[in-house]
Amino acid sequence: MKWINNLESFPYPFKGSTYRYSNNSIPMKTPLCVEVTPDYIEEMQLKRTLLNHHAERCYQSLPHTITGQWEIVELVIDHLAAQYPDQFSVEKKGSKWTFNNKILEEKQEFTFGGESTFPEEPLAFISRHVQEDLILMMQRDGDLYLDAGQLCFPANWSLAFNLGMKFKCIHHPIPGFKEEGLDDRILQFLMRLEAGNPWERKNWSLMAGDRLDTSLETFDQWGKLRKQVTKENAGELVHIRVEVQKLFRLPRTNGILFTINTHLLSLENLVSNREWLKQFHDILSELPPHITDYKGISLYKNEVLKYLSEKLESGKVV
Amino acid sequence: MYKEKTIPVYVKAIEQENEFIRRFTLASVNEELLPKFSGGAHISTYIEHGELLVRQYSLTSNPDDTKHYQIAVRLSDTSRGGSRYWHEKMKVGDQLQISYPKNHFPLSFKAKHHVFYAAGIGITPFLSMMNELHSRGSSFELYYASKTEEACAFYDFLQEHYPNQYRFYFSNKRERINSSSLEEHPIGTHVYFCGPESFISDLTESAYQLGYPPSAVHTERFTPPQPKDMQPFNVQLKDGTLVEVARDQTLLEALLNKGIKAPYSCRVGRCGTCELQVVEGEIAHYDSFFSEDQKQSQSRILTCVSRSKSAMLVLDV
Repeated sequence: MKWINNLESFPYPFKGSTYRYSNNSIPMKTPLCVEVTPDYIEEMQLKRTLLNHHAERCYQSLPHTITGQWEIVELVIDHLAAQYPDQFSVEKKGSKWTFNNKILEEKQEFTFGGESTFPEEPLAFISRHVQEDLILMMQRDGDLYLDAGQLCFPANWSLAFNLGMKFKCIHHPIPGFKEEGLDDRILQFLMRLEAGNPWERKNWSLMAGDRLDTSLETFDQWGKLRKQVTKENAGELVHIRVEVQKLFRLPRTNGILFTINTHLLSLENLVSNREWLKQFHDILSELPPHITDYKGISLYKNEVLKYLSEKLESGKVV
Repeated sequence: MYKEKTIPVYVKAIEQENEFIRRFTLASVNEELLPKFSGGAHISTYIEHGELLVRQYSLTSNPDDTKHYQIAVRLSDTSRGGSRYWHEKMKVGDQLQISYPKNHFPLSFKAKHHVFYAAGIGITPFLSMMNELHSRGSSFELYYASKTEEACAFYDFLQEHYPNQYRFYFSNKRERINSSSLEEHPIGTHVYFCGPESFISDLTESAYQLGYPPSAVHTERFTPPQPKDMQPFNVQLKDGTLVEVARDQTLLEALLNKGIKAPYSCRVGRCGTCELQVVEGEIAHYDSFFSEDQKQSQSRILTCVSRSKSAMLVLDV
């Protein structure tokens, strides 16, 4: 499966010739919490299959998050209807809302804020209409907690494991995150996030294979591909995985909506851009072991580097 | 640079709450719904009047009613232009910009019981907090000190809406909030103080002495704690530019006056947006944002409230 062929719309993540962990968030120019890409229908089918068959690993919530979930429903629907009026619309008559997804030809009437409006929770409902994974962080008693989320396409983490955890506990496994003081600074940044002023950032990693659903729970199914990477197959097998992450303060509950839109691009597509090839080669060669280990690249980094070097030397643009 | 987005609104109604306090109803210029907000939230108001007057006011209306916002403004004896403008110049129909709602004074999530201590105009943030607790069915009490019954803002409103949850203290009747009431709250109570600086600091000190955990004591200052003796100082920027900060001026104001695009948002030392790196010099911190460790590291300053202990600060900007 090739998820992205259009290089121009790929959210290329790199700047400069080195990479380190940082809070690389920037204020959003167009405040949209979700996007609709050409892969919409394909990704929605995959997402719904996952939600239906693996509910525990894809959806978790604590009971006090319902008001925050409704805020997410409102934000997502308003953004979809405003940005993609040909694909989505909403009609509001007081608390009687009708949401129309014209791509999937689904119309849903519901009572906004009402209990048992849907067969499932509000966050679960709206997540069936967007490609993004949707995470709700609640700010309570001076800290941030992951209190609800729909997560189908995680980059090797587990929603069920992280539910109810504090921001710093969730990020504790990142090497150097605490030692460099990044955990404090990013937590403070998030806690000062203000409504009306959303932020976004890109995060990246490499993966062997092209699965979007690389949850920790299914590592046994996709992790072993890492051992099969050779310089001959790296271009096709290895993908760069970029998450476009967006942060919105939810004013009613003072919670934070964190959306993740995951993009995959094969290395052979990446290196067809000569500048990207050179820059990515520089960054990967220089990347220190604690980062390659955590991103799960160590096993096949050398094979990828050999592949990139050959491409550079041959000067060939595939 | 970070500059917050604002919402254009107009003044829909003005009501005289009492001799010193006016209530203003604000509605969106485009007749759109305003954002909902959480208990304890406030907005910044932006008024162009020769200079730009930026002031923070608690939202006193119902957090779920987004057709309009309401704020209550007390005419300050020492007004630097803000409350005087609201009282003397603002008319129904006038337009202004406001920020999205922000909350630096949120309700505790884990508290078993909430007790609000208000003095004077310090009642304002508690109105939306009580509304939220009331609709959730959570337990709370209000201890509210005012000079007189006539000067007591929202007196009728409180009697009507929370008849069993308030206690008034009128100083003309020689009634005073006594810190001994802090001894009577059950374990798991969170206390919230809002009013003049001495009111907040006295109650906070008493609460700590009684053994309240700091996390159970919440305070809202309308103005940041001011140094008793404001001294002028100089700052030097990376390119060598010298900026003088006068006695009655904040570092942020001095930077902005000089045309330097320094970041800022709340202007009361709460949000952290105006943080700048300090290369040299000793900082006098007056913010409620940095942790003690961060303050001691002497490497970062919030320009909206903090100053210099040394004659010169060298900034990395």
